Amino acid sequence: MNVLKDIWDVYVIELRRVLCDKGVMLIFFIATLIYPLIFGAIYKNELVRNLPVAVVDESRSDASRRFIHKLDATPELRVDYHCCNMEEARHLMEQRNINGIFLFPRDYDQRLSRHETARVCLFCDMSSFLYYRGVLSAASNVLLDELQQIELQRYSLVGITGESADELIKPIPYDDVKLYSPTGGFTSFLVPALLVLIIHQTLFLGIGILFGTAREDRETLRVIPPRLRRDGRPRVVIGRALAYLLLYVPVVAIDLVLIPRLFDLPHIGRLTDLCLFLLPFMLATIFFCMTVCSFVRERDTGIVTCIFFSVILLFLSGAIWPACNMPPFWRTLSYLFPSTHGIQGFIRINTMGSTLAGVKFEYLMLWLQTALYFVTSCFCLRFAKQFRLK
Amino acid sequence: MHTFIISLRRELKRLWSRGQSRYLILTSLGLVFCYVFFLTLMDEGQPQRLPIAIVDKDGSYLSRRLCHEINACQGVRVVNVYSSHTAARQAMQRQEIYAFLEIPAGTYNDVLSFTRPHLVLYSNNAYLLSGALSYRTLATISNLASGAVQREVLRKKGLNESQIMGLIQPIELDTHLISNPMANYQPYVLTTMLPGMLGLFVLLLTVYMVGVERREGTLSQWLAAGALPALLGKMAPYTLWFSLLGVIGNLVLFGWCGFELHGSFWLVALFTILLVMAMQATAVFLSAIIPDAHLSTCFAAIYGTLAFTMSGFSYPVTSMPPALQGFSLIFPLRHYYMAVSRISLFGSGFASCYWQVAALLAFLLTGLVGTLLLTRQAATQPSSQPTINPTVNPSI
Repeated sequence: MNVLKDIWDVYVIELRRVLCDKGVMLIFFIATLIYPLIFGAIYKNELVRNLPVAVVDESRSDASRRFIHKLDATPELRVDYHCCNMEEARHLMEQRNINGIFLFPRDYDQRLSRHETARVCLFCDMSSFLYYRGVLSAASNVLLDELQQIELQRYSLVGITGESADELIKPIPYDDVKLYSPTGGFTSFLVPALLVLIIHQTLFLGIGILFGTAREDRETLRVIPPRLRRDGRPRVVIGRALAYLLLYVPVVAIDLVLIPRLFDLPHIGRLTDLCLFLLPFMLATIFFCMTVCSFVRERDTGIVTCIFFSVILLFLSGAIWPACNMPPFWRTLSYLFPSTHGIQGFIRINTMGSTLAGVKFEYLMLWLQTALYFVTSCFCLRFAKQFRLK
Repeated sequence: MHTFIISLRRELKRLWSRGQSRYLILTSLGLVFCYVFFLTLMDEGQPQRLPIAIVDKDGSYLSRRLCHEINACQGVRVVNVYSSHTAARQAMQRQEIYAFLEIPAGTYNDVLSFTRPHLVLYSNNAYLLSGALSYRTLATISNLASGAVQREVLRKKGLNESQIMGLIQPIELDTHLISNPMANYQPYVLTTMLPGMLGLFVLLLTVYMVGVERREGTLSQWLAAGALPALLGKMAPYTLWFSLLGVIGNLVLFGWCGFELHGSFWLVALFTILLVMAMQATAVFLSAIIPDAHLSTCFAAIYGTLAFTMSGFSYPVTSMPPALQGFSLIFPLRHYYMAVSRISLFGSGFASCYWQVAALLAFLLTGLVGTLLLTRQAATQPSSQPTINPTVNPSI
């Protein structure tokens, strides 16, 4: 019973410390709400639509005009300019008025009527991945459509018509099924990862500020009840972690459960699986932050470290750059951070509808981290004491 | 000029004696770490050999051949051949594969009897980059398979090769990826992201430095030299140092890593220096309008991280809601990205990016405004008495 009493005491003290610190409250409860809303608003449109492109039609034929009309009809592109020559189009591209140029050479139509292979030149703006992806996918869709139409005409000329021509045009047709995010939107891809990162980083920031302030004010010891100073470290750590965990229950519920539903992000996972997965994630994160933040000497250092790691952790998580293509060193390093497993697990359960069995590795790693960082945070509490005595 | 030198000497002395150099060294190391991290992380340029699978319900010569041909593509590698859809889906959910091709039973028979078997191509769109790339490879192979069948049929009908090519490929798309022919992912991300990190560090360091002055009550001592010389004197060492780092960073990106740079290197260097100065000025302005040192650091952190999103290098600004598009102008990184992508990709000269130069210069004015505000604040505060930290913890 004594143990429970001690934990309760530390819990109450820590809770009071959090509630009295304006900065921490701001980060725990305001930043965690504002950030998802900001990102939700920025990426609201999900897709890149109606990219402006220019067309240089040297062929000026029926066939090229049909191609251009089809380009204009795609959702990705909008033919804004009809240029006389490449120089003019180049200038527009340089002024960033357009994101792509389609050039129909003078012999486009002639080659088509001679039953040869005609050529369309495409110049892509490579300043953003999404420009390139949009222009290229629209171009290849139009191309496939146009190919079928022309093939049909040509087959009829060599005597293949009707059903057999249809069969010959696409002898092995394929359907494509884009799983988990049918539109391939940017929001459904990035925001789930960001949501988990926000939880991870705000916890880091908040705990960093609490620890840093305590260090600045030289009160590390004062916040621990005197009877626990010698060998009650695990109880102190558990009591504090409990305070953060319970404070974060509503935050996690809003950010990871409510926000995906509010912003219509993919959310096909089972809620029980998600909750079961998030428990070790939260514990691992809290103990991880308590370990690392023991080394934070000032409030502001915590903030700078946190910001620095946000971008790095996002890339390490494998949500943007595939994990299997990372150099082994970085991949191994990424296993140290709860955010990596948290992001992977959350995307798989929430976006891809995986069960807990599907994230077994991440789940086990998070429990392992929980144990590891619990021990280290107990040790680091001692470190903090010694530092103070120096 | 004299006051500027006094202010500069004061700053150098502070840097030397008060342990502030520690932060300078830490931020510089952080920056070096970022360069090493991102350049080694995305070493491949474009993800290669992404793991995919085949669901082979046919088990015929044709399906095995398709599998071999897919495996021969650079972009993907077949890690497993499953016999059921469920097994493949579960592998996808375990993230062992990014895409799979389902070959239904009787495909080979259908091809021979000309009754159009249907392949199904599943790709994981929860991972935008890897899903899109593996999908593209599979789609290409499926199209080629159709082409191969067409060619065989037309040959049997007695057409010659050149006639066949005209029939099965009437149009070809000749794609030119301007200044990034391999669709390397690094130049997209790194040419803006790494200078962005530089800007972020400069921002946070400057806010911190002004915060220290305020906390120690030395604001009026610093600003005694007059707003402009004081500002210049305090910032000059950092401007020099971070500009140097930034230009070295540019050298690494455009020289050592060989990212395309069609325009002038000096123009890029100019923009890097302007970015550093604009971030410093913004930092001074931020710390002037938010007098609480901790709060201004928090705010700078939020502003600094949003700059990555709002610069538009990942998600185009033009696709954001219109209300936010104008908002992107208050981020120096946005102007940097607009100018440098133009210089590096299209070889534009100064004439086409003077507007961005003007915008970045305008940020410098905010620094001056910030210093004037600080001067006023310093005048109202007694200089000898250190300001009390408003967020001291009441504890037990």
